[in-house]
Amino acid sequence: MGDGNVNLPPGFRFYPTDEELVVHFLYRKAALLPCHPDVIPDLDLYPYDPWELSGKALEGINNHWYFFSRRTPNRISANGYWKPLGVDEPIFTGESKKVGMKKYLVFYLGEAPTGIKTNWVMQEYRLSDSGSSSRSSRKKGNSKMDSSRLVLCRVYERSGGSQGSFCDEDGDGTELSCLDEVFLSLDDLDEISLPN
Amino acid sequence: MPGEEMSVSVNGQSRVPPGFRFHPTEEELLHYYLRKKVAYEKIDLDVIRDVDLNKLEPWDIQEKCRIGSTPQNDWYFFSHKDKKYPTGTRTNRATAAGFWKATGRDKVIYSSFRRIGMRKTLVFYKGRAPHGQKSDWIMHEYRLDDHTIDTNASGLMGETTQEEGWVVCRVFKKKNHHKCLDSPKNSSVTVEENTQILKTSNDGSLDQILQYMGRSCKQETETNNNIRINTSSSRNNNIRIKPIQVSVNNGLHERSQQQLPALESPILPFLGKDSTRLDQIQACTSQAGCYQPIDVQDLPLITQSEPSVTNQGFSGWAALDRLVASQLNGQSETCKQLSCFDNDSNMAFCSPPDHELQLPQLRGSIHRSSSYHTSQDYNNEIDLWSFTRSCSSSSDPLCHVSNSST
Repeated sequence: MGDGNVNLPPGFRFYPTDEELVVHFLYRKAALLPCHPDVIPDLDLYPYDPWELSGKALEGINNHWYFFSRRTPNRISANGYWKPLGVDEPIFTGESKKVGMKKYLVFYLGEAPTGIKTNWVMQEYRLSDSGSSSRSSRKKGNSKMDSSRLVLCRVYERSGGSQGSFCDEDGDGTELSCLDEVFLSLDDLDEISLPN
Repeated sequence: MPGEEMSVSVNGQSRVPPGFRFHPTEEELLHYYLRKKVAYEKIDLDVIRDVDLNKLEPWDIQEKCRIGSTPQNDWYFFSHKDKKYPTGTRTNRATAAGFWKATGRDKVIYSSFRRIGMRKTLVFYKGRAPHGQKSDWIMHEYRLDDHTIDTNASGLMGETTQEEGWVVCRVFKKKNHHKCLDSPKNSSVTVEENTQILKTSNDGSLDQILQYMGRSCKQETETNNNIRINTSSSRNNNIRIKPIQVSVNNGLHERSQQQLPALESPILPFLGKDSTRLDQIQACTSQAGCYQPIDVQDLPLITQSEPSVTNQGFSGWAALDRLVASQLNGQSETCKQLSCFDNDSNMAFCSPPDHELQLPQLRGSIHRSSSYHTSQDYNNEIDLWSFTRSCSSSSDPLCHVSNSST
């Protein structure tokens, strides 16, 4: 899959914001508007194991996988299941308009409720209820059922340990390393020593 | 899937498709972009512009180096290093409003286990040295390794000297203890992780940072070939002193570059984060007819959607920074000592061994720090990890770099 039809020079990566995912990709897909570029594949209800997504979903930066799916009461794959964390996060536009919700799920190996928790995380974006109902009432007809269940999923494997998960993970240097921060504070010391 | 061709036009209107950002790896910056630049090869799209660093203030960079209309956290440009003195090797990085000053030490950039270049980290100071005021603007300046340049130039000695002046730079604003708002990275922190941040930020962070200091000291033995200034002089000394010493040396080194006449009012009106954001928004809106109107809304207000826990988590870091800063400021006596030989060095360029003799107290403090060193393994690896170590660890940034090439 990948970004094959997007002809971009090296260095460009799929690195969407929450708002872009909801407003540009999810909304347009649900409203049957042309998606441009149409890069996120629709895996429908196929219950892939997260490590099977390679080659099927769109790979974004930091090995995040993106695909469309349908909301289901339980997501069970060949080797495990996705369990919701129980906290949904609203997605706002820049104008503070709520456009969608983000649900967190964790992948467990085995069968519920005795599965083994993994580091695989899914963020499931859906359009906010008000938005989708007003739109579907506007559009009526065939897409109504489908679009209200449409979700956009971002799946990734959290890096192993729990420590320091907030520090820069991609290592591309867009963030100062912790050590650089130390050096920066040492520069302050340097400043104090300046002759007058 | 329609086979539409998307392309980027940086100087014209935006054609960057939604969701895509220019976020090159260090390897891509060096191996693809800078190598082509140095070799006078055409780069398909004008993504990275040439910039005269001496004529560009950091707050103008984001306008000048905009890529499309998507929100950016970092900006890229080529720059030709301007020598401070015709005969010297030092680089003039002063602008009208301030100057870029190196911090830390240079980091080696590897590509598939091969050394391809170096990264220098610089901070922008407003005003004139030595009275500059440190800003949040950070620059990573990438240069190709000397060996790489030699093989590229393939015998054209005359051009080598000219070519080695090209660098590719990434400029960004240091995030002050809260993550940047339009970064998806932020949003991928799960609720669970947030609680972990809360847990660790209070008690674990200090240990963590001290561990970095301690670890960096240890790794000096393996990576000290980066610091030419030290290797010759300090082999016989206690290696634990080196990180401090490096920063001191760099400071001296840079400061002596910056002997520019002091301005009357060195501090220009500071364009804070909000105003630059505003600029960004305005710039976005002014690009009417750009591909995605959504981008206008894409900027800061998204914060409200982020869980407040995140902020708490990073305020823990703020407290940590203050703690570290206060500890460092406690070394004021050492500072005075430093300032003594500082004067000397400006006149006579003392050799590094002299500097080391001046640092007994710093050495003591580092010893104290390293006693916090634990054997715990953290995942956010830092550039000072030795190369061998980084190859064996899959969570290491260097591995990401090499992996991303495949």
